[in-house]
Parts: sequence; C-alpha cells; structure tokens
Amino acid sequence: MAEHDITLTVNGNEQELTVESRTLLVHALRDELGYTGPNVGCESSMCGACTVHVDGKAVKSCTMLAVQADGTDVTTVEGLDQDGEFHPIQEAFQEEHGLQCGYCTPGMMMTAVDFLDDHDDPGREEIREALEGNLCRCTGYQNIVNAVETASNKMGGSGAAAGGDD
Amino acid sequence: MKPAPFEYHRPSSLAEALELLADLPDAEPLAGNQSLSILMSNRLASPDHLVDINDLAELSYVAADGQSVEVGALVRHREVERSGTLADALPLFPEAAGKIAGPVVRNRGTVGGSLGEGDPAGNYPCVAAALDADLELASADGSRTVPAEDFFIATMFTDREEDELITGLAIPREPFPPARTGQTFLAVKEAAQTWPTLSAAGAVRVDDPAADEPVVEEARVALANAAEVPLRVREAESELAGEPLTDAALAAAGETAYEAVDPEEELHADETYKRELAREYTKRALTTAHDRAVA
Repeated sequence: MAEHDITLTVNGNEQELTVESRTLLVHALRDELGYTGPNVGCESSMCGACTVHVDGKAVKSCTMLAVQADGTDVTTVEGLDQDGEFHPIQEAFQEEHGLQCGYCTPGMMMTAVDFLDDHDDPGREEIREALEGNLCRCTGYQNIVNAVETASNKMGGSGAAAGGDD
Repeated sequence: MKPAPFEYHRPSSLAEALELLADLPDAEPLAGNQSLSILMSNRLASPDHLVDINDLAELSYVAADGQSVEVGALVRHREVERSGTLADALPLFPEAAGKIAGPVVRNRGTVGGSLGEGDPAGNYPCVAAALDADLELASADGSRTVPAEDFFIATMFTDREEDELITGLAIPREPFPPARTGQTFLAVKEAAQTWPTLSAAGAVRVDDPAADEPVVEEARVALANAAEVPLRVREAESELAGEPLTDAALAAAGETAYEAVDPEEELHADETYKRELAREYTKRALTTAHDRAVA
C-alpha cells in the first residue's frame, strides 16, 4: 500500500491522519499536524534538529517513516512544558543562554531529556558525548553543555522527577 | 528531499517477512532505517517495496552459553552497548557499538542493518571479522550460515541474496575465555556524523595473566575502512602468537598491516596516511588488548 491511515499520539493528543509510505515522520508532524518544533536540517540523520521522542526514546524524525510510528506516543519540544510551566531543560537553556539562532534547540533539548532520563549526575564529558549527534552552528556548544548540566541539577539527580515527557 | 514512492509492508512474523521478500520484486528489508533512509532520501536507492521487520520480536535476542554468543539482527546498537552479557563475554562488541554515530542513532540502528549494509567502515563487520562470526541468513527456502570472511564481498556488497534476511550472528567463545582475554575497538573518528577514517578491533589471549611474562596464545586484529571489506590481518596476528609481547613483534605486526591494507583515499586521508593509521592502530589495538588480558 502506498497510503496508510495512521494514529499518532502527539504530546498526549491522539491524531488520525493519512500518509504516503514515503512520508517521513518529521514531515507528518510539521506539514500535516502543525508541530513545527522539530526542524528539518539535513534530512540525513546528521544534524539532530528534528529529534523527537517516540515511545520515550529520542529518534531523529527524518530517519523514521510516519507509517512506522503508527500507534506510538510521540513527544515534540512543544510537549515538554506542563501547564504552562517550562520543563527544567527549557528553563536551563534560557538561563544559561544555551542558544543563539535557536534552530538546533528543539533537537538539543529532546536529546538532552532522553539522556537525563537515565543519567542522574552526568559529567561534562558525558554530556558532550550525549550531544554528539546534534549540530549547533552558533554557540560553540559551551552554553549548551552548561544548560544540560544545570538542567540535571534542577532535576535533582532524578531524570524522572520533572517535566511532561515520557 | 523525499524518497521515491514505494509500498510499505509490516509483517508480524519471520515467516511472513520471508514470504514477502520472496514474492515482491525489488524489495528491501527495513530495520532501524538509519542508513537506508539516507540513501533513499538522496535517491541513491529507490526500492519498490520496503519490508519493515521491526515487529519481529524473535530477532531481538542476546544469548550466551559456554560455546557461543548469539545476537539477533533486530538488536539495537544501544542494547549491544549496554548488554551485560556481551560486556562479560565479548567486550569488543559493546565497545564497538558505543562508537557508532551518536546516541540517538544508536536508539534505532540495528545489528542486522549494519552488517547488511556492508560498509567497509562499519564497526560490526570489523568485529565480525575479528571474532570469526557466522552470519545467519534465512529465506522462504530455508536458512544458511556464512562466515564473516565470506559474507563481505566488496563495498556495500555482501553475500546476502535479495530474498534473504540476516536473522543474527553467532560468535564462538572458545578462543576467548574472559579471564585470559583482552579485547578493544579503537576508532579514528573526527566527528560523530562521519564514518571513522579507520578502526581497529583487537583481541589477545594469554596463557597465564599472572605470569611474569605471559605468552600470547592467540591474537586477532581486523581493520575497518582500510580496504573494500573488513580486513583481518592474519600475518600481523602471527607475529605475536607463541611468545610474550615484545616491541619488536608489535612493530612487525604494524608493518604487516601497513602493507596489507588497500585503502580508499578520502578528502582528509590520502593512501599513505591511512596506511600509517593502519600501522599505528594495529599496534595500539594489540597493545590495549594485551594490557587488558593481563590486567
């Protein structure tokens, strides 16, 4: 079949849509459902700007077909805050000035949240390794690493303690 | 860019997947989609059918007994990286997994996909060559086993037939009892987004780690991105075997690797540089493996 009726639960909202086999998850999210948080950078898994969570795990949504995500829970950067309160990672990026143009930021944050979910008190080297699949062309990364470190502290050494994800 | 149109199939069992691969013309298996999607988005590949094997839970296993370690094709790099079973039995394997791309890619990419891609720079093909792995392939007609050394034929070209699926690989444990063995996987990699310029898998077994001068009973070294296929450098291995490790033996092993490779030149790595890397990283891999064996 070249077209498929699928159901995605995006940030808690169940949505039904019809996609082509070849539609990438990032394009379904952006063009069909209006979630423009995940950005399209390289479309070849290198830059990480399109990173979202699928069933709780960070995925580059340019390397997943929308039809493959049928029946899954998807979290985009729009789903990080809860009741208007920023997720600690969002607060930390703001406080540490962890962005300049902002294009890479949604992907950076989604990758960082997945990482912090299973790393209680990471060192800076670990944070850098965790972010190695996400490119930033503005900041030089220092403030991004600072932001992830600050977020880890805010989350009290327990990745599951805060935020609307997973 | 969008992939060319294709039909998507999602079988729920191995038998169903194999039937689809047998019946559909120009079909490709789809697993983690971390490589195929890039080829398809760039229109370097445009299969008419994709057979998505992500629901085949029977291909997602890691098992070890006294004789062998078996890993299913659908095991993700992340699972290999974090597997306690593999860390105990064959630590080379998780070390190699942890050096594939970045962590988000490792959440999706699979063992079978990486082996099937047959990229000469791939980590698992190099591990499979170093450890004498057998690849298990299945089709609607039956299954067969192919040694790693015969499976990889040329750049991105393997012994897998179009209607076959890699179901897993099996690695013999007999050569590498953990108490007397050291292993390592070293990658020369400038950035997460690139393939390594060169990688080296090393394994060394000694007679008695507590001896004053432990004798190397067996050494293995394989190089990635040093030829069209993962390159086991047997001549380098034999330079070490049968005596305690010496600088002279290491130097000879390195020279052997320098001569053995047939590297593709890259923008930032000409042939001479890659030969020099092969020499140096053969020595480093064997030294590290030896140090871990006697530690």
